[in-house]
Amino acid sequence: MLASISPERLAEILDVAEDGIITVDAQQRIVLFNRGAANLFGYHPSEVLGQPLDLLIPTRFRGTHSDDVKAFAAGPVAARPMGLRRVVTGLRKDGTEFPAEVTICKLVAEGDLLLTAIVRDAVERKKYETALLQLNQELEERVRQRTSELAERNLQLMQKTEENEMFVYSVSHDLRSPLVNLEGFSQELQLAVNDLATLLSDDRIPSDIRSRAKELLSSGIEESVGFIRTAVNRLGRIIDALLRLSRAGRVEYRLQLVDVQLVAQRVVDSLRSTAAAHKAEVVIGTLPPAWGDPDAVEQILANLVSNALKYLDPARPGRVEIGSPPPSADQKTLTYFVRDNGVGIPAAYSTKLFQAFQRLHPDKAPGEGIGLAIVRRVLERLGGTIAVESRAGEGTIFTFTLPAESSRHP
Amino acid sequence: MIHKPLVILLADDDDGHAHLIQRNLKRAGVVNRIERVKDGQEALNFVREGKSDAPLLLLLDINMPRVDGVEVLRQLKADPATSSIPVIMLTTTDDPREISRCYQLGCSVYITKPVRYEEFAEALSRLGLFLEIVKLPDPPHATAVPTTSA
Repeated sequence: MLASISPERLAEILDVAEDGIITVDAQQRIVLFNRGAANLFGYHPSEVLGQPLDLLIPTRFRGTHSDDVKAFAAGPVAARPMGLRRVVTGLRKDGTEFPAEVTICKLVAEGDLLLTAIVRDAVERKKYETALLQLNQELEERVRQRTSELAERNLQLMQKTEENEMFVYSVSHDLRSPLVNLEGFSQELQLAVNDLATLLSDDRIPSDIRSRAKELLSSGIEESVGFIRTAVNRLGRIIDALLRLSRAGRVEYRLQLVDVQLVAQRVVDSLRSTAAAHKAEVVIGTLPPAWGDPDAVEQILANLVSNALKYLDPARPGRVEIGSPPPSADQKTLTYFVRDNGVGIPAAYSTKLFQAFQRLHPDKAPGEGIGLAIVRRVLERLGGTIAVESRAGEGTIFTFTLPAESSRHP
Repeated sequence: MIHKPLVILLADDDDGHAHLIQRNLKRAGVVNRIERVKDGQEALNFVREGKSDAPLLLLLDINMPRVDGVEVLRQLKADPATSSIPVIMLTTTDDPREISRCYQLGCSVYITKPVRYEEFAEALSRLGLFLEIVKLPDPPHATAVPTTSA
């Protein structure tokens, strides 16, 4: 190929290139030095032809550079970029240094080994690299800031929740007092009604007055009192539920390693008669220990298991299973589930499930509908999570996580 | 020995609650005199002035204005002259922390409102007070012969 182009033409072509092109022989002496190289290094070609390549390398790098070139010459690769980051340092005639991007290739021509280096000023590239690094650092700083802002916000939200709970607690507490009067005096009314009824059965009272009085008593007073008592009863249960709910957020936890297996057994034992009444079977798998408060964990399991027993399907024998899937790789959280084959929860209600006072089947079983709200709050406080999967008519599985002992902060 | 019948001192700021308690006890046949005061200071005054010289049983509501039930308890227990007066605390809540506060101060018995007779009787037996009541089917005029233990 080279033979078809005259040497003068070749030199012209090489001089048109902006990059520096330097060719050395097997002894690393410069045999070709184009105009680009001359501009880069500040030498006239006549000053460097025949000189060692080292002339163009700062003293401190000469050793490694020379070795590198020898290795390349001896090796199998025909062309590659030089240096670890493809940037080598070049030494100009005036003594100044500059970063250079270098690609070298080798050629055997008429028995001689020739190595050619294409050299480019890497100052621009260095600028880009520096800018990129700076941008990276800025981004990291911004992320750090944002993370601490989010943590701060989280803390504020937690405080808000606690304030809310204190408020709910103190209001519910204050409501108890008038409730005592409502309950007490509606009962007094009932007792007075009973006494009056007894009195009215006296023969000495003319029968027409007696019958009218009885009528008034039963449909007028007794019925009214009945409604009042039912309402007061409900009011009492709601207030108690609110107190329990707010207490779930306020009671102090004693964090420790919890034997979840033991807690589950305790819960199942205490619900034994309920399970028997529903003719349901409750099965406990192997449950690993977790980091938390034993009473809180008991609260979680008691709520989930008793819910499962409440919402069984009469069409099939009830089966409730408490278990734990094989541990995850990260070892920082432990997963548990409570599964049942009961009536299930339609998908439309899954978002409301953990809200307080939402009851899907108010007639099916007694309760105020705060059990799951309590469970969620407790898990939130323990650093765990809860999720539910269900199919109406088939059953439900609640899956919750708790931190492992290894994940706790000192 | 002359036994003077036990006087029940009921301290509660809520008229409704106080009435309910009195009605419940009377209906169950308790004929002991029930004295009603409206706050802790009045209760302390009553105890200290010791007019009647009769043995006392205190029914103390926890939440009262001026001086609350817990403070009354504290003062009574701190004074040897009054520390042996039996006290039943009345509370509207079963918050374990309020209860333990009571216990720490030396009240051994509490009842949550509303006070039903059965709970009252149980509280009495826990205090070691023996109250014999004869219940008659008709409007109760039971003869209560209370005795204090020591």
